[in-house]
Amino acid sequence: MPFSFIEIEQKKSRLILFVFLFLIFFYFLTVWLLLLIVRNFFFASAFGNEFIFTFPPLSHTLIALAVAFLIGLLHWSVSTSNLIDKISASIDASPVDPKDNYHQYLKNIVDEVSIAIGGRHIEPYVIPTSALNAYSLVDFQDNAVIGVTEGLLARLNRSQIEAVVGHEAGHIVSGDSFNATVICSLSEIYKETVSRLGQGTREFRLRGKGGVLILLIFIVLTIMNFLNQLLNTFISRQREYRADAVSVRLTRNPLALAEALRLISQKWHGSGINGENIESIFIVSPNVRSIEEQEGLAADLFATHPPIDKRVNILLDMAHLDEKTLDENIKNMIRVSPIAKAEFKEGVSSDKKRWFVFKQDEWQGPFLLDELRVLKGFSPTDWIKIEGQDSVFEAFNDDEVNKVFGATIEDKEDSYPCPHCHTNLNELNYEGVPILKCDFCAGSFVDYSGISRIFIREDKEFSQEIVDLASSVYKTKLRYNSFSKPGTSDDWILDCPKCRKKMHRQFFVYSYPVEIDRCPSCSGIWFDKQELEVLQYLYQNKDKFLLQDKNSV
Amino acid sequence: MIIGLILLVVLVFIVGWVFMVYNSLIQLSVRVKNAWSQIDVQLKRRHDLIPNLVETVKGYMNYEKDTLERVIKARTQAIDASSIKDKAQAENFLTQTLRSLFAVVERYPDLKANQTMLKLQDELTSTENKIAFSRQYYNDEVMRFNTRIQVAPDNIVAKMFKFSTQDFFEIEDKAERQSPQVKF
Repeated sequence: MPFSFIEIEQKKSRLILFVFLFLIFFYFLTVWLLLLIVRNFFFASAFGNEFIFTFPPLSHTLIALAVAFLIGLLHWSVSTSNLIDKISASIDASPVDPKDNYHQYLKNIVDEVSIAIGGRHIEPYVIPTSALNAYSLVDFQDNAVIGVTEGLLARLNRSQIEAVVGHEAGHIVSGDSFNATVICSLSEIYKETVSRLGQGTREFRLRGKGGVLILLIFIVLTIMNFLNQLLNTFISRQREYRADAVSVRLTRNPLALAEALRLISQKWHGSGINGENIESIFIVSPNVRSIEEQEGLAADLFATHPPIDKRVNILLDMAHLDEKTLDENIKNMIRVSPIAKAEFKEGVSSDKKRWFVFKQDEWQGPFLLDELRVLKGFSPTDWIKIEGQDSVFEAFNDDEVNKVFGATIEDKEDSYPCPHCHTNLNELNYEGVPILKCDFCAGSFVDYSGISRIFIREDKEFSQEIVDLASSVYKTKLRYNSFSKPGTSDDWILDCPKCRKKMHRQFFVYSYPVEIDRCPSCSGIWFDKQELEVLQYLYQNKDKFLLQDKNSV
Repeated sequence: MIIGLILLVVLVFIVGWVFMVYNSLIQLSVRVKNAWSQIDVQLKRRHDLIPNLVETVKGYMNYEKDTLERVIKARTQAIDASSIKDKAQAENFLTQTLRSLFAVVERYPDLKANQTMLKLQDELTSTENKIAFSRQYYNDEVMRFNTRIQVAPDNIVAKMFKFSTQDFFEIEDKAERQSPQVKF
């Protein structure tokens, strides 16, 4: 296997040059054909001459070539700048969140694999969808990215994820990834153009000029599809086999990759990924096309991935196993969550410092610092003592307690006040996602990006109370559906702990009628006690609930 | 005259070939060195983690003093080792003592739930995987290098410039040899 980067550099620059020349040629052909049509059909009829079919003269052809070169150069330079950012944005991927346990776990795996290929730095990315898939990107500056979906992190076990990352690392070292990235970026620009034109159409249609733009979109779409098909021929299906082989070489575990491929192909590999025209960067094509599972010349030319069953069979041959063992292995698969169970401990931890307060002629307490903050009538001259100690002193003498009086918590920038209790929210991880939780009312604030992660991960074990609550919420939904849409209270009561702005009270979604408060500026959501768990349970068991409905009807 | 010319051409070819082989051997040996430094980074990382681990465990374990002492001793040995063979041996010993330490930790539920301990255990597992992978990469490179300097006709050049075979970084641990799977 070529691990020598010099050989690879040479090979990839040759292919990329070829792609560039092809692009120029493609534009030349388009411009030249347009010229031919305009010349023969439009001009001929405009001047009323007799119809004679003529080719454009050499001078016009040269002009066409120059125009094609300019367009091609423009296209190339626009689409190859900020490659990684652009493609990542189009599939909604972002770098890992260092506070998230699952993301840390992915980072460890990617670091390990990058050491196995000789220490090249690879940046881990995550796509927030429940689908199972993975991709890799390399740009002109040699920055490498390996991204996986949240669904993959939540459903595969460690050795399977490692095998998938190893496969992507294989693409990176062999230079395939760089080729695929550049080729994908070339078709990305059309996708952008179409979506911009689409926005334009809405405005124009109001003025009755939509037709022109729709025609333009149609032309662009046709060119795009055609170009994309042609570009796909540059991407060999064989590279997937090669990357699978590299993965086995790195992890020495063909079975794990076979399991991973089987699982990815069984679950929805594309839902939630906007992977049109950029299929070639993924481990398994996110779009279901029949050509991908075929063999033969046409499929070899236009498909981006080989048939999955064939890939799995090759891997099984390496492991000397048959499909039955594979299916059994998958059925008995053990997945150890990267989240330590200890995090799920709820309630107030006992090792925090607590104080007694002398009020109404007796010692009250013990109170936590946050409890002192909201204690009614607590003043700096009150007598206090620390739990477990005998010395008694006035509150202002204790530096920690004194801070309670100094400033109200809302004034400090690095603190997050609970919208109900106004005490400081604690940062902790729920399902590996960093959230803010109130010790007293048990409500929690989740950032916009964290919500989908929580719903995808299935480590939490729900108490019977949550299950019952969820079922009753589900029944309410049925009631609403059969009469009318539920009216929300539509209030603006609570303050967002982060932005300090009023949050909007509304239903999470109409199909799960749980009232939450959403911040209009950061899109974070405040969940009161148990609301988050109930929603998570509803989301993760929606199939079960649907089945119940069917049976009851 | 003609014979002299032919001899000159042959000589130029031979010298050119020697240069080519020499350069590619140098390239390979540099890569072996680079691969070794990768292992070294990870080994050092593990050595740095151990004092923290010992500090955390100390408070909980009063009766397991000798397990801890063995870990500390193994760490010192590993740091002091200089040749690749000695290092491999010392590191294997360290891996074993660490494993027995973690087996003992299982008996202390309080310690197992300790956040610092969990983080350390996590980092050590990850570092150990990294050591395994960098060792794999190193051994692959050594294999390429060793094969290259032993096959004919490259071995002539290798002998001329005194290239010698490099040591593999081997593991003695039977459990590890059987399965490359990583458990968390």
